[in-house]
Amino acid sequence: MDRDTILAVIVGQIREVVPELADRPITESESMAELGLDSIERSEIIMNTLEAIGLDLPMVQMHGPKNLGELADLLHAKRHA
Amino acid sequence: MSMSAGIEALNVYGGAASLDVRQLCLHRGLDMPRFDNLLMREKTVALPFEDPVTFAVNAAKPLVDALSQEDRRRIEMVVTCTESGIDFGKSLSTYIHHYLGLAGNCRLFEIKQACYSGTAGLQMAVNFILSGTSPGAKALVICTDLSRFALADSAAIQEWAYSEPSSGAGAVAMLVSDTPHVLRIDQGAYGNHGFEVMDTCRPGPDTEAGDADLSLMAYLDCCERAFKDYARRVDGADFRDTFAYLSFHTPFGGMIKGAHRHLMRKLYKAKPDDIEADFARRLSPSLTFGQRVGNTAGGSVFLGLAGLLESVDLAAPCRVGLFSYGSGCCSEFFSGVVTPDGQQRLRAQGIAAQLDRRHALSLDEYEDMLKGAQVIRFGQKDATIAPDTIPAAWDAYQGQGRLALEGMVGYHRQYRFV
Repeated sequence: MDRDTILAVIVGQIREVVPELADRPITESESMAELGLDSIERSEIIMNTLEAIGLDLPMVQMHGPKNLGELADLLHAKRHA
Repeated sequence: MSMSAGIEALNVYGGAASLDVRQLCLHRGLDMPRFDNLLMREKTVALPFEDPVTFAVNAAKPLVDALSQEDRRRIEMVVTCTESGIDFGKSLSTYIHHYLGLAGNCRLFEIKQACYSGTAGLQMAVNFILSGTSPGAKALVICTDLSRFALADSAAIQEWAYSEPSSGAGAVAMLVSDTPHVLRIDQGAYGNHGFEVMDTCRPGPDTEAGDADLSLMAYLDCCERAFKDYARRVDGADFRDTFAYLSFHTPFGGMIKGAHRHLMRKLYKAKPDDIEADFARRLSPSLTFGQRVGNTAGGSVFLGLAGLLESVDLAAPCRVGLFSYGSGCCSEFFSGVVTPDGQQRLRAQGIAAQLDRRHALSLDEYEDMLKGAQVIRFGQKDATIAPDTIPAAWDAYQGQGRLALEGMVGYHRQYRFV
């Protein structure tokens, strides 16, 4: 699974958790906070993404990325670690 | 049959004043488009004549007053659980012990591990009882915490912004003994998870800093792993079937909803509708009081226990699962049995009625309080408190035998029952 596919999974999960964002363009330079998601929604999206791409890791290892692109990079690296 | 141990009596004290959290968020200009999902309503705000000692004594006094002289003398340990300490050396327990009029043959100390402190204190007391070293002894465990920050400083306001809506104040007093009417602890049924993480902290006496995402992530990891450690110790333990009700440490309601969802997906791949129904049935009753006082830190998991006993229909004894988390971090999943008799005893404390009597602060009153001009600060040597900065709140406070802070004389806090 390449990095852009993982990014697409993240964006799909964002739209599922917050249906109001269904029609809004989302770019990889944006953060979930900038999209108006609260901390509970952010963690749910990360949890759902991990599940969708078949990763089982402590959530604290997902801390740090500043935008969706960096989150996709991190997940991609973890998946190929 | 082996000895049982646990909580004989429990009381919650929720302070003298409250604030509407939605109004606060609007006032701060916080963008919270789905505020209702966060399950917050009110929070308790500590007034200048209140401190961790007054909260603790006001919570514990009804429990102590209800005991016979003979039973009162059997309180051989007072453990204060807090992250709101007022001195590096002298423990809060010494003041509390004095104002409760307890006997001198008593262990007095204070423990800290952020919001995990209450569970650490309870387990210490339970194991003291179970050890049998002093048959018939009782221990008083008091969780007391309040958030009071020096917001005159704009940097402090920014540091605090992430938790201002949820930070509350309150105390939970628990009498622990071998006659555990309110919660009989399941002996040996517990699980822990802890690791070093800088998620939230109190780096100074009037400051709090933190990262909401990291704190939530650490909480979720601990919730899953502490339960798995519990299941490792307890044959046949099943998160869905073993516990009729649950109480989790509650920074705010939305957080425990997220943790419950996380666990239900991880353990059972449960579907959203099932998760929602399970949350409403087993966990939401624990929010009864937390939604009114905000995050009470060390006491919050027991505030949840009190809230569920206040609100559910209990026809027969049943098992409750409890999850405690303290930033930094350490956590524990443990369990116990509650009964209809214990429920009646808890309800007799009149906790909800006491919360109803709090003064509802206006935003102007709240903002004025935050400037902190009337508040005693950590390390202050001498001071006199004007109790009536908010006259209506002071009027309502008096006449019920509650403890009030009057001032400091040579670092020594002075109190009076009013």
